[in-house]
Amino acid sequence: MMKMHYPKLDETVYRCQLPCGLTVAVVPKPGFTRKLAYFVTDFGSIHSDFLLDGQEYHVPAGVAHYLEHKLFELPGRDVSAEFAALGANVNAFTGYDMTAYYFSCTENFEKSLALLLEFVSTPYFPAESVVREQGIIDQEIGMYLDSPEARVFDRLMEAMYRRHPIRVPILGSGESIREITPEILELCHRAFYAPGNMILCVVGDVDPEEVANIANRVLGEESRPVAQKLRAWQEEMTCPEPYTAQQMEVAMPTFQLGFKCEGTDMGEAAIRAEVVGDLAAEALFGESSALYLKMYESGLIDASFGGGFETVDGGAMVTCGGDSPEPEKVRDAILAGVKVLLETGIDEESFLRMKRSALGRRIRDLDSFDSTCFRICAYHFSQFDYFQFPKVYAEVTRKEVFEFLTRVVTEQRCALSVITPI
Amino acid sequence: MIETMELLPGVTLRCYTDSRFKQGCLSFQLVRPMAAEEAAMNALLPAVLLRGCRVYPDMRAITGRLDELYGASVGALVRRVGDYQTTGLHCGFMEDRFALEGDAIFAPMADLLRQLLTEPILEGEGFCHEFVESEKKNLIATIEAERNDKRAYAASQLMKLMCKTDSFGIPRLGEKEQVAEITPEQLYAHYQKILHNSVVEMFYVGSCSAAQVAELTRPLLAGLQRTPEVLPPQTPFRACPESENEEKMDIAQATLCMGFVTTVTNQSLHFAAMQVLNMVFGGGMTSKLFMNVREKLSLCYSIGSGYHGSKGIMTVSAGIDTVQYDKVRREILAQLEACCSGDITDEELQAAKEAILSGLRGVTDSPGAIENYCLTSTLSGLKLSIPEYMTAVTAVTAEQVAAVAKTLKLHTSFFLKGVGE
Repeated sequence: MMKMHYPKLDETVYRCQLPCGLTVAVVPKPGFTRKLAYFVTDFGSIHSDFLLDGQEYHVPAGVAHYLEHKLFELPGRDVSAEFAALGANVNAFTGYDMTAYYFSCTENFEKSLALLLEFVSTPYFPAESVVREQGIIDQEIGMYLDSPEARVFDRLMEAMYRRHPIRVPILGSGESIREITPEILELCHRAFYAPGNMILCVVGDVDPEEVANIANRVLGEESRPVAQKLRAWQEEMTCPEPYTAQQMEVAMPTFQLGFKCEGTDMGEAAIRAEVVGDLAAEALFGESSALYLKMYESGLIDASFGGGFETVDGGAMVTCGGDSPEPEKVRDAILAGVKVLLETGIDEESFLRMKRSALGRRIRDLDSFDSTCFRICAYHFSQFDYFQFPKVYAEVTRKEVFEFLTRVVTEQRCALSVITPI
Repeated sequence: MIETMELLPGVTLRCYTDSRFKQGCLSFQLVRPMAAEEAAMNALLPAVLLRGCRVYPDMRAITGRLDELYGASVGALVRRVGDYQTTGLHCGFMEDRFALEGDAIFAPMADLLRQLLTEPILEGEGFCHEFVESEKKNLIATIEAERNDKRAYAASQLMKLMCKTDSFGIPRLGEKEQVAEITPEQLYAHYQKILHNSVVEMFYVGSCSAAQVAELTRPLLAGLQRTPEVLPPQTPFRACPESENEEKMDIAQATLCMGFVTTVTNQSLHFAAMQVLNMVFGGGMTSKLFMNVREKLSLCYSIGSGYHGSKGIMTVSAGIDTVQYDKVRREILAQLEACCSGDITDEELQAAKEAILSGLRGVTDSPGAIENYCLTSTLSGLKLSIPEYMTAVTAVTAEQVAAVAKTLKLHTSFFLKGVGE
């Protein structure tokens, strides 16, 4: 394996690519008891159109998430019970552009790792169990339909995007999940769960070579073709619906405001764009900005307010949100605030302080195994070595941040989603 | 591993020195008996302190200082531990060794904490009026916003109904009517009183030695005239009449919450068996509730149980279809009955124990978890070190689990259901 040391972060990463195509990354954490393993595929809810073996496929909304639920079954075996017997805690989540399966444990790491690799790479979808899952996912959809936080975001995506499938909730709908069959699950598994489309990342006091050996043993050496994603998502940088509102059982209006951005490139450009976007959001409405203080002191926002820069395969956005008695006024204040900020500018000293703060928070975040694993995987799919982030912070300039604000924070790119009390 | 020092009468500093982490934490908490008269004031207090101090007179100035300290953070910490409520501040900061050119972070951070706690902005005999009024509004909004999260709302309604005559029924942040009545003068007088007479717990995790931490935090305590009062001991559940309740809301998914009482608390010999029972019954993806109500019957997505060891209360919560109420309730009771009759396989018992043991082993991997475990265990009456706790869990047998299951009595249920159903 290739060993890379990052002295500024006091971290080391071992990496390799196995014959089957799987990327393995291990971050040894000597002296820690907990071990965490993420097995992740570069496939999420938005990848419902693809080309495999020369044929084009279009699968129902919610299939990536449904597949995540159903993979927890092996012929005649209960995967969760086996993890439990090993003392490991297993779970999974589906995002817009990735699906992750993970476990954490303090003992029996090697057996748990083999089990993780085995169950995720074994498609087994008996018909009656696929049907039974509908009841469970119906209830999960119901839970999100009642969650103002989830609704306000899903509605914002619908308001901002015309074509990009981020406008469809990750879980799909009660109707779309009824179109999902064992054959469709098998197809998606074949299309995107080939090791070449996946990464295994382990953080903890483990032997990196042993991790690679286990993966090699469980997955074999055969490399399989990966489907080609069809991304007919070209978006204009305007929002189809600048304003959307829904009534729900909430105490106070809650909102999400979004500004649409172009998708980021791969590699260092991706994280650089993200750092610029984050610093821009911080400069405009972060807790140390003049605008935040003004909005907070006038009661327009409270401690629930927050935001930042988000990327997804094929798109990006600046978002912010929280509870507010008058969300429209928050939007207006931000649109007015950006003009003031661009006119007055930020002095170099304040900019350095902002960068130092953002860098410090990222370093602190490395204490979290979960966040480290997640970021290594996410950046791997955009072809960047996450632990290089200090260099990116050192290089980003004020000019880039201001150019970003000028381009992105405008009325044309803006949409507001509000949930109001009944 | 933890070094404990009494810095002043009733002021305890606990230090967990460990250089594995990239960040350290330092918390300062005043420990109060949970009481309806002051719960809201204790909840409001840290939010007001975080609005400004003499040198950093507004939030922007404070955040600017935190930015200089490499993105350090300081936040309000309001906890409920059994019959106690704690109020104070919690700081998180990058370890000095990651800073540039010998910049210090912890020392200035401890000083910022001192300034926030001891140099608040005053107006006449009280806190700055504007800060208090605006934080009252925010706290009321936070209390009202509990309704937004249906699971949390149902769980808190259950507690209020079940614990009408117990301190556990007082909401952690107080009632909004009480928040509304607080004046800046009253809040400041309360703060002065509790600074002088409450038990104070300070907790540090990081690379500094206890002696260094004591040295850096001493100025914070310099002006305090301490006359500490002794905390009353934790008490078991004080029962009110049993009840079944429901409320309607315009929602897609209903929530069923059931509250059981037991005489087994953290102080009991059998507390470890109760923890294991909680895992077997509803503690995770292999629990009886998950495997039967969700996986076998597809009646829900989320279901689980929780044990409040400081009080002897077990709760079950499930997100369901309104029409399935009877079926789910029956099934939950049937699964509990299975536990009582000793229908617990070796696999279930081992999995439950392993889940608890694994959680305990992992505590020392995170500064936040260390602080939380140590303080909660000290204050809640558990008073066990992690190895002692693990030994107790390892020794639990299936018979003991069945025996503690039999002590559970259904006391109160709360059903949040959709309108028109």
